Amino acid sequence: MRPNSSAPQPDPTHPPIPLMPRLTWPSLFTALMYAFMYFPIIVLGVYSFNDSRYSASWDGFSLRWYRALFSDRRLLSALQDSLTIAVVAVAISAVLGTLMAIGLARYRFRGKALYRGVSYLPLIIPDIAIAVATLVFLVSMAVPLSLATIIAAHMVFCLAYIAVVVSSRLQRLDPNLEEAALDLGATPTQAMIQVLIPQLAPAIFAGCLLAFVLSMDDLLISSFTAGGGANPLPIEIFSRVRTGVKPDINALSVVLILGSALLAGLAEYVRYRSDRIRQST
Amino acid sequence: MAGLAATNCRQNLSGPSAGGGGGDDGALHIYTWANYTDDGLADAFTERTGIPVVVDIFDSNEIMLTRMQAGGGDAYSILYPSDYMVSEMLELNLLTELDQSRITGLENLKAQWANPAYDPNNAHSIPFCWGTTGLLYNREVSPGEPIDWDFLWENQDALSRRITMLDDMRETLGATLKSLGYSYNSSNPAEIEAAYNRLLELQPHIAAFKTTGFENELLGGDLSVSMAYSSDAIALTLEDDRMEYIIPDSGASLWTDTLAIPATAPNVDAAYQWINFLLEPETASAAVERLYFATANQAAFERLPADIQNNQDLYPPEEVLAKSEGIVAVDADSTDLFDQFWTEVTSA
Amino acid sequence: MTPASAPIPSTTWAARLAPRRWLGPVVLLAPAGVWLLLLLVLPTLLILEISLVPGLRLGQPSGGYGLGNYLQILQPVYLRVIGRSLAFAVGSTLLCLVLGFPVAYWLALLSPRRWRNLLLVGFILPLWTSSLLRAYAWTTILRPSGVFNTMLTTLGLPAQNWLNTPTAVFIGLTYSFLPYMVLILYASLEKLDTRLLEAAADLGATPRQSFWKITVPQTLPGIAAASLLVFISTLSDFVVPTLLGGASSMNISRLIYNQFLGPTRAWGFGSALSMVLILAVSLAIALLLRYGDRNTVTEA
Repeated sequence: MRPNSSAPQPDPTHPPIPLMPRLTWPSLFTALMYAFMYFPIIVLGVYSFNDSRYSASWDGFSLRWYRALFSDRRLLSALQDSLTIAVVAVAISAVLGTLMAIGLARYRFRGKALYRGVSYLPLIIPDIAIAVATLVFLVSMAVPLSLATIIAAHMVFCLAYIAVVVSSRLQRLDPNLEEAALDLGATPTQAMIQVLIPQLAPAIFAGCLLAFVLSMDDLLISSFTAGGGANPLPIEIFSRVRTGVKPDINALSVVLILGSALLAGLAEYVRYRSDRIRQST
Repeated sequence: MAGLAATNCRQNLSGPSAGGGGGDDGALHIYTWANYTDDGLADAFTERTGIPVVVDIFDSNEIMLTRMQAGGGDAYSILYPSDYMVSEMLELNLLTELDQSRITGLENLKAQWANPAYDPNNAHSIPFCWGTTGLLYNREVSPGEPIDWDFLWENQDALSRRITMLDDMRETLGATLKSLGYSYNSSNPAEIEAAYNRLLELQPHIAAFKTTGFENELLGGDLSVSMAYSSDAIALTLEDDRMEYIIPDSGASLWTDTLAIPATAPNVDAAYQWINFLLEPETASAAVERLYFATANQAAFERLPADIQNNQDLYPPEEVLAKSEGIVAVDADSTDLFDQFWTEVTSA
Repeated sequence: MTPASAPIPSTTWAARLAPRRWLGPVVLLAPAGVWLLLLLVLPTLLILEISLVPGLRLGQPSGGYGLGNYLQILQPVYLRVIGRSLAFAVGSTLLCLVLGFPVAYWLALLSPRRWRNLLLVGFILPLWTSSLLRAYAWTTILRPSGVFNTMLTTLGLPAQNWLNTPTAVFIGLTYSFLPYMVLILYASLEKLDTRLLEAAADLGATPRQSFWKITVPQTLPGIAAASLLVFISTLSDFVVPTLLGGASSMNISRLIYNQFLGPTRAWGFGSALSMVLILAVSLAIALLLRYGDRNTVTEA
């Protein structure tokens, strides 16, 4: 920014360093869109404190749905299933996806374009088609559906997303550091673990976070691969929304939204830190 | 490799379910209709036996069957198929033959279920409850008092997007058949097609096909009429004066839901314990007083308070039942027609 | 496809791996490759095969190969389902573009610089929450006795019964995918060379002229990428049409879902629908790669 950019300000009432943007139509419109994005969330929040069971009219303030929520064993076990799936799928995918991204950046081989194309497929093919194909595959191989099959299916999209995020970071990476390590006598494995991986860490983290959120939110792929009593949260919520919602779902929304806001804040903080580190080096 | 998989695949897809080896976590997993169990029932069972109960809900017999065939039902030790579905599942070898010596309390059942046509001698299923399928409406917002299925067609404009129908092929197409004076179990292609066309006429005015989940909207006045199972409807009529349930004049479906053990059940002992638990008159009558289904258990019925025994929605008089009809499994060609028309009417 | 075949050393130090030079690529690329092959490529080939078996149903014997399932899609009722899916996708993509562009423009060019990141994160924060619950929230708003009608009647406007209509689906889809649109457009607008705008202003162009002559052409790749991404997502969305559309809005995802987990178990027909959906999406992607900005997509 040029230092004198705000100097020839024609409006004398305007402060030299504006904290608030001027009320122009784009800013008004944007404010309206922010309201649009948060309106449903606020409505859920308000109704989560509504005493009425039918949630159409306001019957007074109550915390009963939060009490119901925290004593709802089924919902808590669904949350536990979801967390297990997401953590395991993301942890394995973090390794596989990172290795794949490094491999794709490092080697040239016949069929590489095809390999890369296949690695993009989970980002492109609609969930419903992946879900259906996975179910057909599992049934035809006579694999009993269970928590493990959900994890296996989630790994497909998790590793693809992690690989994409890591790949884009790899492209901007300085190859000299790793070469220097090799010149100083490190083995390729040492160079990778001690030099390359730390440089990729923020991207791996960002990819994992993205994969985690997608896994926690997935309804379709889980619906088609769940069995053996596994019942992840989106399936439970979907079933409750269809079979009649008690307002504890509203309370659950508020809790989940606060949890995700925390996660988003964490992600943003890590990104901010890694930007600072990158700038200072 | 793909070729090998393909051959394999076709065999597995056309054979019986890919079951076996589902996780046994020590809990009793039950796959049932909404409103047949509640925490009270599950907790009482757990207290008695130490076995935790996990309940999953299905919308229609066909969806339950799909789950079981696709291999997603390995964990279930107890299913609640309806009468005609018991026959269908028997043909597919999906149910365990019950060991009658492990069941106590069969003598408590009402006489009419001693030897049901859908499962002779109750060899694979135990009748649990029965009921009808009719119309549940909110008197405050409904444009009139329905007495027959025709009400929906005659008032389709006033009722536009204030109706829900069951998300159940045989029930909803069957009710339309009945409204035309045909049988629920028609295997005449012309009659089935006529019913399809009539349902198609109503389709734009139907808010949603829902088996459950209309309750709040009906109570809130967002919906006027919902096609409903009596067991789901009666709880609402007792809870709120504005709610009424009717059995349509031209006849409704009369169904029995049963308890059965799937062939792939991991925890068979617990399944028998659950069946015996529900056959106990005390358990059954206590559950009826909370959940309002019509029990098939005579001993439990006798323990009920008089106002529930005399509830005509729950236990309709003989002349109403006489007009009603049980859904039975139809031949393969008719099943195909039902399937095809159902897919089309829900896609329209 | 073997990732190990003929690795060509791309950097000098890679030559040191010469004795075991197949090892690196295998360790790096094989695990993920096998996984994708087993759980993505093979399954997709399987549904391609099943789609060519007319009338295949789970649990029933099936006949030989044929195009019966694809011919069934050509029936008017299913063509209408596809048309409806396309209409949902095109309509909500346009709505997202019209609503999202001004937001992205303001965020990228007009918002206070020190708050810019925070403001952007604030706009896409709802993406972090359950998509099911966000769609469900709209049922609470749009039901006849809901918040929306309370607002309308307070303003003296007639009440609307929008729940379970295509209108509700458009609202829900636009709401669900607007943040993606804004995110990608933002990335594109952020790179806009503002000196061009200053130069145009110096040469006497009106803001309107410079918007259409500079801003839009400069960000066209971003607009194309964002629109196609939203188009693909909305074309195959399941949650919003199911929760908000009721009986009025069967789309291709719901239809596929019903063929597999619904009452009829018509897995052959469902597979054919799936292949059509994959084909439609691949076409859209091909268009994107042909005319769009690849980097913008990857970054998004």
